[in-house]
Amino acid sequence: MFDKIKEKYLSLMEKERLPYIKCKSCGHVFFYPRDFCPKCNSRDLEVKISEGKGKVFSFTKFQGKKGETIYGIVELDEGFRMYTNIFGDVDIGDEVVVTFINDSGRKIPVFKKK
Amino acid sequence: MKSRIVGFSGMTFKKYEGSTFQLLSEVVSKAMEMASISSREIDGLLFTILPGTFDGKANVHFPSFQLSSFLGIKPKYIDVIDYGGPSALTMIYRAFKLIEAGEIETALCVVGGKGSFLRENKATADSVDKFYNISLTPFDEFFRVYEDMNPVTDYALVAKRHGKLFGTTDEQRAMIAVNQRKNAMDNDKAIYKNPITVKDVLSSRMVSDPLRLLEIVYPVDGFHAFIVSKHQRNSNLRPIRIDFYGEAHWTEMPTEWKDIVYTPTVESSKGVKLEKIDAYELYDSFTITVLLEIEDIGLAEKGKGGKFVETTDITYRGEIPINTGGGSLNVGQPAYMSGGVILEEALLQLNDMARGHQVKGANRVLVNGIGGWNRGHAVTIVLEGE
Repeated sequence: MFDKIKEKYLSLMEKERLPYIKCKSCGHVFFYPRDFCPKCNSRDLEVKISEGKGKVFSFTKFQGKKGETIYGIVELDEGFRMYTNIFGDVDIGDEVVVTFINDSGRKIPVFKKK
Repeated sequence: MKSRIVGFSGMTFKKYEGSTFQLLSEVVSKAMEMASISSREIDGLLFTILPGTFDGKANVHFPSFQLSSFLGIKPKYIDVIDYGGPSALTMIYRAFKLIEAGEIETALCVVGGKGSFLRENKATADSVDKFYNISLTPFDEFFRVYEDMNPVTDYALVAKRHGKLFGTTDEQRAMIAVNQRKNAMDNDKAIYKNPITVKDVLSSRMVSDPLRLLEIVYPVDGFHAFIVSKHQRNSNLRPIRIDFYGEAHWTEMPTEWKDIVYTPTVESSKGVKLEKIDAYELYDSFTITVLLEIEDIGLAEKGKGGKFVETTDITYRGEIPINTGGGSLNVGQPAYMSGGVILEEALLQLNDMARGHQVKGANRVLVNGIGGWNRGHAVTIVLEGE
């Protein structure tokens, strides 16, 4: 089950879709893939596709490999949060949208200022 | 059976040129000397080890054999506690329990290693996964694919959000660094002893916005050893009891916590009574870590930690002494874990051995540890002289 969810995540990301999991039992949503709901322990889960819109929950700027880099947490409109890189001059609460970058032969979801 | 801490020692170096085993041997010998106990009498071994911090290799295979074999110990109980920072506090607690249960008579608790290998390679114990290609979380394919500078960036996210939610200022965090430095100036073990001002902190290099260089620990080489035994022998240490112990482990990713401005200290310290605490040794990987603990143990309400450090004298002479020896921000962080540093300082205080920075009549000391790359582990312990 876990491997299947992970596979689905990876294939959706290749199609530039941002996956998340919704618990069919209690409605809890989460991003990091597990085969049980961390809230109610149900195994009745559904992989869904996010609209990719959210707000900056927190962020930090540091000198990365290619100059100033932003690392942060984004809270998606569907209610789940994820760590990510963010592009553009942002503040906490600013609206951002998902975009995909190529990295080591994979597509990785990152966010940019709306 | 009554158990007591009969010996302890700690040694830290910016860079120790000898082998890790040599350093370990020196530290353990000193603790055994204080306890007047030989390695043959030690029947319990508790230790912690982090990847990349022992001999520069990613991992040490079968460390239970390696450490026992090298130290000449024949344990009948071995425990590896692997959650970094607060592990040292857990070791002491478990050693007490094991002795009281009659399982063992004397335990050696060891924490440390060499931080210089990773430091020189610009890695940390929290980014060692990328350096050695080992896993950090079960979700690395979706988490460790981003550019970060953890653990600094992760704590910076907390500091940034704390500022946004509660108006906590850079100046307030800097006050923690300034006051801890005041404590360090009178501590022989500190590597940083020159006085600093808020302006110095705020003009030090920005590492990960808003955290600056003087708010971040410096990784060093070093070990701490603690011996808990039912035998007092010639040890001059006073009997100390564990008045309170709590541990909490938040195993979800911090993005799934209620908010990142809380730590599991909220839970590990639940029920602790802060009256008559003479000194607080709070895990200080960063200034923001101390601020979070001040709130989470209940010295200040959530969001009021900034105001607290602005208006409270936290030096060892002050009203609420915090990190009385300057903390690991000034002593250095051996092998990316501060637990040994803060526990040793607590024991020095309780035994009237904190030369130059003794809190007068220190009889109850609260030590709080935080660990994991994500602050997911916390241990709160109150040590009290009998």
